[in-house]
Amino acid sequence: MTGDIEQVARRYARYTAIGAVVIAAAWHVGYDLTVTVTGWQDFRWPALAAVAWVVHTAVGAVAAVALLRGAEPPRTALLAAVALAVTVMVILACRPADLLGTIDWGWGSVGWIGVMLLWHRPRRRAELIVFLAANAGIMLAAMAVTGAFDRVSVAKYLVVVAGSVTLQLGYSVGCHALRASAQDATLLARRLAADDAWRMSAQRIHADRLRRYAAIRDVAEDLLERLADGADPGDARVREECTAGALRLRRLITEREDVPDALVTELREHLDAAERRGVLVTAPPFGGTLPDLADRVRRDLLRAPLQALDGARSQARVTVSAMSSMVSVAVVADNDDLAVSPEPVREASGVVVTYQRQGGEVWVNSVWQAP
Amino acid sequence: MGQQRVAGPVTVVLVEDHQVVVDGVRSWFGQDGPVRLVAQGPSIESVRGVAADVLLLDLNLNGTMIVDRIGELCAGGQRVVVFSEHEEPETVRAVLDAGASAFIGKGRATRESCVETILEVAADRPSVTPPMAQAIATDENPHRPQLSEKERLALLYWFQSMSKASVAARMGVKERTVRQYIDRARVKYAAAGRPAPTKEKLLICAIQDGLISPGEVDVYTSLAARPSDR
Repeated sequence: MTGDIEQVARRYARYTAIGAVVIAAAWHVGYDLTVTVTGWQDFRWPALAAVAWVVHTAVGAVAAVALLRGAEPPRTALLAAVALAVTVMVILACRPADLLGTIDWGWGSVGWIGVMLLWHRPRRRAELIVFLAANAGIMLAAMAVTGAFDRVSVAKYLVVVAGSVTLQLGYSVGCHALRASAQDATLLARRLAADDAWRMSAQRIHADRLRRYAAIRDVAEDLLERLADGADPGDARVREECTAGALRLRRLITEREDVPDALVTELREHLDAAERRGVLVTAPPFGGTLPDLADRVRRDLLRAPLQALDGARSQARVTVSAMSSMVSVAVVADNDDLAVSPEPVREASGVVVTYQRQGGEVWVNSVWQAP
Repeated sequence: MGQQRVAGPVTVVLVEDHQVVVDGVRSWFGQDGPVRLVAQGPSIESVRGVAADVLLLDLNLNGTMIVDRIGELCAGGQRVVVFSEHEEPETVRAVLDAGASAFIGKGRATRESCVETILEVAADRPSVTPPMAQAIATDENPHRPQLSEKERLALLYWFQSMSKASVAARMGVKERTVRQYIDRARVKYAAAGRPAPTKEKLLICAIQDGLISPGEVDVYTSLAARPSDR
């Protein structure tokens, strides 16, 4: 679900950016080019208007490419200044009488370049307002220079300013609000997914803890009841059972549940099974952080030690040592039946298994070293 | 608590909050053994001021881990032996780094091993219990000294096997050599850890015994104490 929402957010960001490019291009080709060509005769310096159109196209193209790539264009300030120069060029290309006329396309159009140029900048709204104000200011200055401050001209000016600024600023702010909402939704979805994962792992840990508590309680309860009913603590059998119960309690105290690991989980299952058979098992906390192991490495590491543990007669000691590049699993047990190899056994996975019999016990040790 | 050695049995103060463990330890030391329990209490404060060669310390007192109190206990030269079921390598390393002389795991401790460790510590000789062996062998901190491969293997096998004799058989060396590997690793480890008076005594004894040469002592210096390059 998180992935879907993230995709939607990415699409919002992409399609609103494409929208800005399409509007700017359509306006520039559909209106600016049309009035430049059809009004060629009306310009004072038509060539300058044509140059302005080409410059506008070039700056717009740079801005559009950067926008679609999701980056800020290089030298944004310079490009913005060139865009404003287009406004000036078109004003100069027109006769003073056409200052607010149809062919003075520059000042209504460059705003779209500003929208594209500033799209990815952190303070885009404030910067776009400054850009649009500078653009409107240039036109106002031109009106002042040519003395076109009559009521009709001012009214025309206000209509064009209000129209273009509303469209350009509105599009930019609206799209970014949309994008921000989509990002919020993404963050929320991620947080919900993290909460779900946390809750599920907490439930798993809790269930595991209850299972182990139940197992321990069975042992302790039965023993305590028998002791309360007068079982003799001096009896060797009672003492042995007390020792077994104490070992299981100790394991309960020190076992870690926060990092589920396939190797440790499998070992614990066999530890539990051995204990249920009445074997006294000591297993110091499995230390270190286990590196990620391939399945076949894990199987080879566990096979021989688990055989030794499964066949233990009355006691076993299980140890796991780990470093970032090494894992060593060992079982020492009074297993009389296990076939031992006098030479170390090298598995195809790189695991080396060593066997040793001494004083009625077998020591089986499998070691994996990172290649 | 003091630190001077006296002739006669080694004296021990026990800090332990479970009476059943206190009774067990007392029975281990017995009446006329080489180790004598002179005081015990459920907290560090309850035994403060009692002089003893070794302080035997449970790591979890009334539900609180007290690893951070070990440094202050060792600062005066008190030899501290930790006695705990929290045998995770990182806990053991933190305990040793704070200056404790040894760590005895409750899981496999026997009367003989416990007494032997206390006697070695009281004599400032290197003592390495199985949990310590694993903690030292698997320490990947770059500031630790490089153990030789044989020293590291001896430690690891000692932790995972049944006896030093079986380690010797596996490595194809004498048991005495295995002891030497393990002791040297312990001394190197102490030498490269944060300085503590108890570690200094261990190092002095190791040099006297010819286990290491004075030139091999490379006491840890905090990076913050390095002179600036600029």
